[in-house]
Amino acid sequence: MKIEEKLSLLNYKTDRSYAHITIDPDICATCPDHFCVFACPANCYTLINGKLNFKYEDCVECGTCDIACSHGSVKWTLPKGDNGVIYKYG
Amino acid sequence: MSEFDVIVIGAGPAGSSAAIKLAQGGMNVLLVERGDPPGTKNVSGAVLWGDELSKVVPDWERSAPIERYVTRKEVAFLTEKSKIAISYSSQDLMERKSGKIIVRGKFDQWLARKAKDAGAMLVTGITIDKLVIDGGKVIGVMQDGDVITSDAVIVAEGANPRVLINSGLRPKLSDHDVALGIKETIKLPENVINERFNVDSKGGYASEFVLGFLDDGILSGGFLYTNRDTVSLGIVASLDRLRANGMTHSYDIMGKFEEHPFIKNLIKDGIPDEYAAHLVPEGGLASMPKLYGNGYLVTGDAAMFTFSNGMVLQGINYAITSGILAAETILENKGKISEETLSNYVNKLRNSYVLSDLYTFNGIQNVTWSDFTQKTMPKILDSVMMSMFDERGMPKKHLMQVLSAAVKSNGMKYTELISSGYRMMRKM
Amino acid sequence: MLNIVVMIKQVPDSSEVEIDPVKMTLNRTKARNVVNAADLNALEYALRIKDKVGANITVISMGPPMADAAIIECMARGADRGILITDRAFAGADTYPTGLTLAATIAKLGNVDIVFGGDETTDSSTGHVGPGVAEFLGIDQITYAKEVDYEDGYVIATRDLEDGDEIVKVHTPVLVTVLLNSNVPRHQSLRKKIDAIRKGVESWGINELGLKPEWVGLRGSPTIVRSMKAIKEPEHLHKTITLDKIDEVVADLVSKNIIKVGGK
Repeated sequence: MKIEEKLSLLNYKTDRSYAHITIDPDICATCPDHFCVFACPANCYTLINGKLNFKYEDCVECGTCDIACSHGSVKWTLPKGDNGVIYKYG
Repeated sequence: MSEFDVIVIGAGPAGSSAAIKLAQGGMNVLLVERGDPPGTKNVSGAVLWGDELSKVVPDWERSAPIERYVTRKEVAFLTEKSKIAISYSSQDLMERKSGKIIVRGKFDQWLARKAKDAGAMLVTGITIDKLVIDGGKVIGVMQDGDVITSDAVIVAEGANPRVLINSGLRPKLSDHDVALGIKETIKLPENVINERFNVDSKGGYASEFVLGFLDDGILSGGFLYTNRDTVSLGIVASLDRLRANGMTHSYDIMGKFEEHPFIKNLIKDGIPDEYAAHLVPEGGLASMPKLYGNGYLVTGDAAMFTFSNGMVLQGINYAITSGILAAETILENKGKISEETLSNYVNKLRNSYVLSDLYTFNGIQNVTWSDFTQKTMPKILDSVMMSMFDERGMPKKHLMQVLSAAVKSNGMKYTELISSGYRMMRKM
Repeated sequence: MLNIVVMIKQVPDSSEVEIDPVKMTLNRTKARNVVNAADLNALEYALRIKDKVGANITVISMGPPMADAAIIECMARGADRGILITDRAFAGADTYPTGLTLAATIAKLGNVDIVFGGDETTDSSTGHVGPGVAEFLGIDQITYAKEVDYEDGYVIATRDLEDGDEIVKVHTPVLVTVLLNSNVPRHQSLRKKIDAIRKGVESWGINELGLKPEWVGLRGSPTIVRSMKAIKEPEHLHKTITLDKIDEVVADLVSKNIIKVGGK
């Protein structure tokens, strides 16, 4: 099963007014490792033609990218209210 | 005058246990949880070991949503083509009911309900931003600019301790503090689970795996627990090894684990129903934040209270006990909350298994997260087993000769094996 | 000050509801209970009017006792008062007695300027209840509203109709049904949620409303459900299309005559 299919099993309440994680594209443009791409278990970070692409909608709020990024690009907060991933089993 | 006696952040096992104890002691408690209902934000294996919860919910097993009791426990090394396991099945384990396999989505909701029934005010669907510190004393919590005051705060926010970090009470987490856990819940009919895992409908199978087949320096453990009609399958991967590797996606480790021939068979015809990921405290004492301060106490995963020696993975019991001890500390010091009075929390933790286990097994992560344990040992064991069981019509050798050959063929010296093995046994 | 009533319903989260393969009915037991999403959009417009000119917002809901959690959530977002209309006599109601019961509640509250509701619920999707309430109350109604504003005794709303937008201006009292996703509801506040829990949700039954048992619940319902059919779920493609593949996707859609490119 591909990661995209696994993520499609998840239920989210997406906050359209607030992205709880943001990145600084200028920092990412010069990043030598892009470890976030490999660390994130929800495939939120992808490289497209060498450019880092980030989407917060699939985020499972684990916090891994905040640790992974050693260049100060990732700004990490929890979603507001009850938004974000909703686990059935957890 | 504060609005609440105590605010508890997080309605997981630590927070809800603390809230129950405090409410039973007559305190005015606010229990805040960002998941709605509780249990929708956390991820756990999960096996709850022991009976600590009975201290706050007598007869808890009668109403708690328990999936199965562990009757078969395994620890297994997986190499590319083999599985070498220590398997323990026991009627005594069943009778002792020591390991309860639970689904946290149901369990946390049930336990938070107990806190509400005990008299705590349960507020869900709200994320606390940080603690409010005034003149060195924690006087409450902040949410979206609003301050809610309390005499004390119990931090039970889990493995990703944003409140502590935002409040300047612990540094950001690093690769050595936590590992990355990824888990899948797979639907299988109850009778298929019973047959496939050789358990009866109350009994359960819990196994930890060393994933020796992973290459390029990746270190990861695995686990499989049988719920009533689902199976929890997951990995716990080292972040610094993943970083050093630099070319493997974390989710592909999970993919390789579930595609391993021995695992694939166990989950055959299962229907994946959920994918999840969470941080797992692994750093032990070195990663621990300050456990108390003027007006606050830290419990559970937020305090890094987990135990893993390769044979068992525990955390929920540590969370429950630390939550209860934090509540006790506050109850005993009602009206005189200070850094000094709350320091007694640490004494209580030392006198319990929570901190004593962490001291006894200090440094264990250097053994469990080592190439020797995860790569060399499985390979040596595989060579030994293969030599012993593969009958080729040749004269047989003594076990020591077989072992010696296996050690050599894996590029190790005999003395290295003995010293590594001894180090491992000492730490475990 | 304006008096606003927001009608809400607690529904099972539609993304978690499964169809029982044997009984062919919805299995709601496993799903979380949530506030019907369009009702939160309705509440948000009420709160914006409160922010603008000041208002007293009462949230009402007909449902079982556990539906008080949905009302508390609305109060945590800024509503002032919550009333749960709950009585065994109301059980099994279709949209007709539901509208009647809600109208009776609003009539009893009295002096209501604006009544808000989501245009439909995710668990039954009839869209009957809002208009029904307006008819029972004998007040004007604005349906399919995607933008709502208030000025000097008038509600000004943009209605999303099939052939275009229609902007209407209606004097209060008026009932407005609001489209799903027409705004972004504000977050719950801890301060407001604590206050809501302390204040509690009022509970009104058939006696408080002065209704007769034969008017409400199953007895008052003209609808008879003959049978239910489960529609087979279409196969999910699970395809993620990244931007670098967009040309291929467009070419594919053009080749299948689904879209045309470059035509003027």
